[in-house]
Amino acid sequence: MVVLLIVPMLQNIYYSFFDWNGLSKPVFIGVHNFVALFGDSVLAGSMLNTAIWVAFTLVFPVMGGLLVAVFVTGLRGENFFKSIFFIPLTISFVATGTIWTYMFSRELGVFNGIFRLLGLPIKLSWLTSVPLNTFSMLISWTWQQLGTNMVMFLMGLATIPSDPVEACLIDGANGWQTFIHVKFPMLAPITTVVITMAMVNGFKVFDIIYVMTRGGPYQSSETLAVSMFRETFTLFHMGYGAAIAVLLSVIVIAISSAYIRRMTRRDLLYY
Amino acid sequence: MTSARTLRKIPIYAVLIVLCILWLLPVLSTLVVALKSPQDFVSQKFYQLPVHISLTQNLNKVLTEYRLNAHFVNSLLYAVAGGAVTIITASMAGYSIVRLRPKFNFLLFLIIYSGTLFPFQMYLVPVYRLYNVLGLYDTRTGMILIYSAICIPFSLFVYRGFYTTIPREIEEAARLDGCGPVRSFVSVFLPQSLPPTAVVALFQMTWIWNDLLFGMVLSRTQHVRPIMVALATMTGYGGGNIPWIMTGVIFTSIPTVVLFILLRRFFIQGMTLSIAA
Repeated sequence: MVVLLIVPMLQNIYYSFFDWNGLSKPVFIGVHNFVALFGDSVLAGSMLNTAIWVAFTLVFPVMGGLLVAVFVTGLRGENFFKSIFFIPLTISFVATGTIWTYMFSRELGVFNGIFRLLGLPIKLSWLTSVPLNTFSMLISWTWQQLGTNMVMFLMGLATIPSDPVEACLIDGANGWQTFIHVKFPMLAPITTVVITMAMVNGFKVFDIIYVMTRGGPYQSSETLAVSMFRETFTLFHMGYGAAIAVLLSVIVIAISSAYIRRMTRRDLLYY
Repeated sequence: MTSARTLRKIPIYAVLIVLCILWLLPVLSTLVVALKSPQDFVSQKFYQLPVHISLTQNLNKVLTEYRLNAHFVNSLLYAVAGGAVTIITASMAGYSIVRLRPKFNFLLFLIIYSGTLFPFQMYLVPVYRLYNVLGLYDTRTGMILIYSAICIPFSLFVYRGFYTTIPREIEEAARLDGCGPVRSFVSVFLPQSLPPTAVVALFQMTWIWNDLLFGMVLSRTQHVRPIMVALATMTGYGGGNIPWIMTGVIFTSIPTVVLFILLRRFFIQGMTLSIAA
């Protein structure tokens, strides 16, 4: 385990200082790879895409998951609705990407088919036009991720004691006020976890993009994870790929450590 | 009062039902397309049911031409072997960290746990190189090793969390009856370990089955490549291939769907643990 994970991690940082194509002897070039990172226009695009992915992940899968969890609780047919949103969790990202590639297909896809059925003269190139392709993939991402967040929020809601909620209702608050002033603050620990995990997952997203567009056309829908893969294993810029990996890790670790610090501070407050 | 409340719920129901239709649409489309022959698929509208059911022909195509069955066997091996290695290692490690209290046990735990923090991209280049040097590249052993290594940190966390809940008195009693650490692990801790083991099996075997990245980087040939890589390479050709691809999607998703249905009640437990993580 240590050999396979810890050592490679350090080695990766080491390689990121080299110009290396995987075959010849690595040449030490100092921080040149990192300097190049910031001058690379493709990489700037992929950073922008990564930011879009993370922001979108927070808005749709996370907030959508919260809304569905809140509204579905106590409703008749609760279990039916929950199991529908649960379905995508059982299949892989690759399968999700494959299914949605068909849904978005220009000539034979379902969405353009629905437009035709409704008599709308719209025929979108969902996956080949920029910037629509990123948003198309984000739709499929939402489809796959909403269930996870819903389940976690449902668990959080189930742990809220009923007394304060009832007290609030007796005092004459409506459902919305109860939610904002009582339920949402009590959900805070779960919300922190969900947001952190969603952001980290947004930064790391790879499978769906690889399957649906391969990052294309012309690298327009790449995120950092996809750029790293392309630089490393298609172009064999091993050192440069390693540098992208370091950049990605720094961002992810920064987010998770902010979260961990918050959690430990809360523990200190409570105990 | 009740009627007013019911009335208020109508918009909620409406939105939820629309969402459900959106959520079911891809699933239903996949099933319908997988039943169609390529000719039907190209000539029909997306909502029309197939004229003749050609699921068996599609399946046959997927198995003989794309050889998904070979990849299926590979991934099954990785999931079972990787899962087994993970469960054995992580349960023993979890026990020793919790109960034997080696020096620096918390530090040790942190080092191992840091394995779950870093994005996988961080390991790709060095592991790729290491595998080439050791001759593990494109071997089944190599795949099992990397999958176990990736899975152990989270599993260790699950086992550690679970073992801290086992009362110390039980172990004291076992010790008074003459059990050494090994014996007490085998006959006191292991029999109670069903819940964490189910969680680990569900989450990690599903993860191994669904992995794309490591499969793509560390394997090349048909008898090593895991199934999701094979499925991913099937995509990218449009048109008449789509019924076959969709049959492939269903074929490759069967194991995880079955696993989820079987171990459903452990799923929530696993989510709780991953939140605690």
